[in-house]
Order: sequence, then C-alpha cells, then structure tokens
Amino acid sequence: MARPTMSRALQRRETVTGYLFMLPSLIFFLGFVVIPMIICIFLSLTNANMHDKSLFGSFIGLSNFTSLFRDETFLEALKNTFLIVIVSVPAVCAFSLWVSSAIYKMKGPMLSAFRCIFYLPVVTGSVAVTVVWKWMYDNYNGIFNYVLKGAGLIEQNINWLGDSKFALWCIILILFTTSVGQPIVLYVSALGNVDQTLIEAAEVDGANGLQVFWKVKWPQIMPTTLYILVITTINSFQCFALIQLLTKGGSGTNTVMYYIYYTAFKLTEQAGHFGYANAMGVILAICIGLLSAVQFKLAEEK
Amino acid sequence: MKMKKVLALALAAAMSLSMAACGSSSGGSSAGQPSTGGSSASQPGSSAGQSTPTPASGPELSLWTYPIGDWGKEDKVKAITDAFTADTGIPVKVEYLAYADGDDKVNSAITANAAPDLIMEGPERLVTNWGDKGYLVDLSDMFDDTDKNEINAAAMAACTHSNGAVYEYPLVITAHCMAINLNAFKEAGADQYLDLENHTWTTENFIKAVDALYAKYNAPVGAVYCKGQGGDQGTRALVNNLYGGTFATSSHDKYTWDDPLNVKALEQLKSMNGIVFDASLEGGDEIAKFYQGILKMAFCWNIAQQLNPNQADTGAGKTISGEDIVFMGFPSESGTPALQGGIWGFGIFNNGDDAKVEAAKTFIEWMCDSEHTVDAVKTANYFAARSAAEGTDLSSIWADNEVMNEYQVLMPYLGDYYQVTKGWAGARTEWWNMLQKVGEGADIAETVATYAANANAAAAS
Repeated sequence: MARPTMSRALQRRETVTGYLFMLPSLIFFLGFVVIPMIICIFLSLTNANMHDKSLFGSFIGLSNFTSLFRDETFLEALKNTFLIVIVSVPAVCAFSLWVSSAIYKMKGPMLSAFRCIFYLPVVTGSVAVTVVWKWMYDNYNGIFNYVLKGAGLIEQNINWLGDSKFALWCIILILFTTSVGQPIVLYVSALGNVDQTLIEAAEVDGANGLQVFWKVKWPQIMPTTLYILVITTINSFQCFALIQLLTKGGSGTNTVMYYIYYTAFKLTEQAGHFGYANAMGVILAICIGLLSAVQFKLAEEK
Repeated sequence: MKMKKVLALALAAAMSLSMAACGSSSGGSSAGQPSTGGSSASQPGSSAGQSTPTPASGPELSLWTYPIGDWGKEDKVKAITDAFTADTGIPVKVEYLAYADGDDKVNSAITANAAPDLIMEGPERLVTNWGDKGYLVDLSDMFDDTDKNEINAAAMAACTHSNGAVYEYPLVITAHCMAINLNAFKEAGADQYLDLENHTWTTENFIKAVDALYAKYNAPVGAVYCKGQGGDQGTRALVNNLYGGTFATSSHDKYTWDDPLNVKALEQLKSMNGIVFDASLEGGDEIAKFYQGILKMAFCWNIAQQLNPNQADTGAGKTISGEDIVFMGFPSESGTPALQGGIWGFGIFNNGDDAKVEAAKTFIEWMCDSEHTVDAVKTANYFAARSAAEGTDLSSIWADNEVMNEYQVLMPYLGDYYQVTKGWAGARTEWWNMLQKVGEGADIAETVATYAANANAAAAS
C-alpha cells in the first residue's frame, strides 16, 4: 500500500519540478503572447487611441470590422498580402525542394557550402539585405537597369520600386531569396533521413525516379513540408520590414502588416486608431489561422 | 531529487527576478528619478548614457531632440547642455530622434506615460499634434512684451495654438528652398534663366531651363519625389509656387490644394520630359541623387544642406565631384516665391511634476532668451527666431559666415506656415499618395480633388 503513495508523492514532486522549469518561459509566453493576444482582441472591439487616458477606449462592438471592409486601403493591402502569400509560398517550397533534391546526396564540404550559400540571406541582417537590394533596384544607377540597358532589352530605366507594375514583384523576389534558406536546410535533412531500404525496394520493383520521389520520398518528408508551408505562410503574411524600408507602402505594395503599423503609430490623429489597427491584427490572425488549418488538413489527408 | 528541486527553484527565482528588474528599470525611466547630476546623452531605447558629475540643484531633465542642424549631433549638444548644467546645476539627459521613427518613439512614450520633459521640434508637431492633444505645457507666461517684439511675428503665430496657448518657444527659423547644379546649367546653357543675384526665377524660365537640361543630358533632371512624407515641403512648395496655388486656407482650417492653379502646375510638371514623378525617392534620397550629380536640381533644400550638402562633409555648396550648388527660390510666375518656413524650438511635456516644468522653463529661457542663445542658435545652423535676447543682438551672429549671409536673401520670401492646419499628419500622407497616383498617369484634376477631400475629411473627424 505504501508504494502507490510514494509514487504519487514522487509524481507530484516531478510535476512541480517540471512546471518550475517551465515557469520562466511560461511567464514570457503569457506576458508576450497570450495576454497581448487577449488585449488585441478586446481592443479591436473598442475605439481606443493613444489620447485616451484609459487606453482601452469605449466598446463599439464590431464597428471596426465593418469599417475595415469598406476601407479601400485595407482591401488593397489585404489583396497584396494574399498575392504575396499565394506567389511566395509555393515558389519557396518548390524551389527549396528542388535545390535540396539536387544537393542532399553531395559529400560533406560541398553540401555544407551549398547550405551556407542558401542560408546566408537568412542570417544576414534584413536591413543590410534590403539596402543592397535597394541599390540594385535603383532607378538611376542600379545594376538591373544598367545590365538590361546594356543588353539592349530596355530603352528607358525602369523605376522598379517606384512603379506599381513592378514594385510588389520586386518585394516578392527579395522575400523569396530571404525565405528559401531555412526550407532548404530542413529539406536536406529530411531527404537524408528517408528510409533507404524503401527506396531500394521500390527501385528493385522497377519504379522510376519520379515514382520513387512521389510514392516513397514525398510521403516521408510530408511533416517537413507541412512545417515549411506553415512558417513560410506566416512569414509571408507578416511581410513588413521590406515594405517599410523600400516603399513605405507606396507603389501598390501596402500590406496588412504595414497598414497595421501605419494606423497604430502614424495616424495618431485619427480617432480610434489603436482599435482599428487591432481589428486588422485580428483579421490577419484569422487569415493565418485558417490557411494553416487548411494546410494541416490537406497534409493529413495526404 | 532535493538538489533538483533547489536548482529548479533557483532558476525560477532568477528568471522572475530578472523580469522584475527589467520592469522596474523601464518603468522608472518615466518617473522623476533622484538626480545623479550631470548631463548625459543616449539613444532612445538604450539604457547607457554618459554622465559627467556636476553639482545638482534641480531635477534631471530629459530632452528629446530631432536632428535640427547640429542639435542632432551628440558632441555639439553635449557641449551646450554641459554649459547649461554647469550654470544652473540642472542635469539634462539628451536622447536623439530621427525623423524616420521619431514620431513613433514619442507617441509610444506618451502612451506609456513616459514622455520626455522637453522636446525640440517644429509647430506641426508641438502645436498641431501634441499641444493640441493637451500633452504640452502652455508657455504663454514666458513671453513678456519685449519677447513678443523681438521674436519673429510669423514664428510666434505658428507657435501659438488657436486657443491662445503657446506650445513652442521658437529658437531658430529658416526658409526651405531648392537648389541647382550650376555647372550642369552652364553646360546646358540654362544658366541664362536664373537670377543668381536674388536667387529667384520665373515659371517660364524654369520650364525653359528644364527643357534645355533635358536636351543636354537626355535624362530626368529633377524628381518630384513621393515615396513618403520625408522632405515633402519641397514638392508642396514647387507645386504651389509654379502658378500661385495654395495648400491651406490662411486661417488654417481647411486644405485647399485642389486649387485649379495646383492642378495646372501638376499638369505642367507631368508634361515635362525632364521632370519625373519618382515614388522610389524621398527628400533625403533626392538630395543624395542631386549631390551625386545624377539630378541637376533638388527640391528639398535649405541652408543646412547648402552648408554641408548631403551631410557628407565634402565642402559647402559643392556636389560630390566639386560642382557648384546654388540655392534658389521656387519658380513662380512673378519670380517672387512664397517659401515654406522651418521653425524649431522647445516644448515642455506636462508630466505632472511642477518642479520639472519649472526646471524645463529655466532650460528654455537659458537657450532661447539669454546671452547663451547665440550658442544655441549656432548649434542649429539656422537663423535666430528673434532679433535680440536679453540685450544680445542676434541679427548679425552669422556676419562671419559668407554662405549664411548670402542665404538671408531668401528670408523675406517666407510664406504662410500652414503646417499647423488640423489633421496635418493625415494630410501629408494624402499628398504623397496623390503625387504617386499623378505620376502613374491618373487623371490629375480628379486625383487632386479626391485626395484633398480625404485630407479635409480626416481633419474634420
């Protein structure tokens, strides 16, 4: 009879110890994630602005949300954000899978070199990367215009970041180069972990390369693919620094994240600007949540 | 197991303590702290600051300053605030703001009840924004009749809210202008269109000059930059001056940039091969392109740029390759421009501490109305906002500086300081967004009307 009592005491002690170890990160998680999320949802239902003494403003129900769907700037930002996600996510996944497939069988130093090359933009400061791209896109003496003009492909310089026909695509290109590093590293690792015996068995059974990839490798790297899809989707939805540094939301590049920042911190004269910005944040979170759920569901079915 | 438990508790306690320590340090910055003496300087957001021990006889003041001439340079500001501290015993902690994100920092600080005691900027922020919202102390009691006589009337008016309160004590003023690359103009034979003695030109001559430059260089020679609001006073002044349009009513209660004369100006600019509407440039970018010799004229210019183009320290009035830069008024039909003014001074945030407000007023008086005003003005590299301060003549403090002296020719052209019109922040955004649309080829009259209406609607709300 003493044994279970001892076991429960031991269990309790271990549980308490476990929770104590978790406590520091739990405090941060609650303080910087959960509580701000709750405040965000609450503020989205108010007309809070920086001039309110109370900070929380007055409760106005769903007015912010109804206003949002009449706000042409927000709708354009939402459209641009979805365009970035729709183009960027498949492109990043496909490209990183292709590169990984080509390099994962390479020997140590060569593989490391490729990993470094593709991972470099990820570890380089985003401001530094953006400034270099800004020079390359420069309307007057950028390298793109110089090369294209030199090759006789264009007669007049293209204002890459100042023309709404090009600006968003230029942003997507930079986002793409800074996003592929991590997926490549993850795919290289996942492809290296695919069960070789299954591949060999499939090859013995006469499967060609495409069949081996599609029937054997692809299902085994599906968890990695799902993770990559989700993080790339979230990163694309949250595209902000590039916009802030390159176009400030002009030339048809406004995104929801930038518009949130702009409304919250620049339009301080506008009544209820905090509440309005929080409502946008809620919409963005819902979009990210829904898309991630769809991705999980599809992966589950696969 | 016991060891494990102790370790777990120690870890948790250490983390909790570190968080508590973080919390108290950030919270403490807003509250009145016991003075440690000395003036110090640090970047907003950083806790490090240099301290010079001096006897403290007042509460420590925090001053946040935008880069107004050399008031954005730590060594220059430290020299003058150290002198103030030595004289009065009031320590000053200075933090330097950039125009790119300075407003964000100030607004965040206001929201967190951590606003500085003193702030240095212009009426568009101090009067129209923070003063209007009741964050600043009314400084009316600092002005006697002598002060009112000595201070430039337009500057005094701009620093005064419509409710009669004065939210900014003006220190310096200047006129914003444009600049041209004289060597390029000479090469293109366009210097004949300039009145180099008065630094003015007519709209007709401006058009001829741009055409001549374009014929010579076969590339845009001037850019109506519209990436953001940085330096937007240049594009507003260009458009308003070309045919005499206005931006806001003289009573500063409504935006009037849908004036047909502005539409005419935009149509003219859009039709010129030598002028490009560039949504990839802001004022600072345009200055850089002009300094590099790529553009042959800059619409974002003032005396600070003339003294040190592109802040590159390569010589006053010279481009990177040594070509001559000449400052010019904006072209107008009569040749008499109405220039945008720049007025900068100090405001005091009402943080509920009377002792600090009094100390801040002592600071302002020391800087703006004493024998030390000469140094404060010279630190800014602009012109004094008043003719004299406590018997010290300020009208000739730049007599030994040829460039400053020559620049004074533009000061009589100072126009209406309409930046105090309600809803200014929103209106600026509408302006550069409108220029982008015009640049993309949208119908000009319709676009101008739409964006002006947006600005007025935002101001009304």
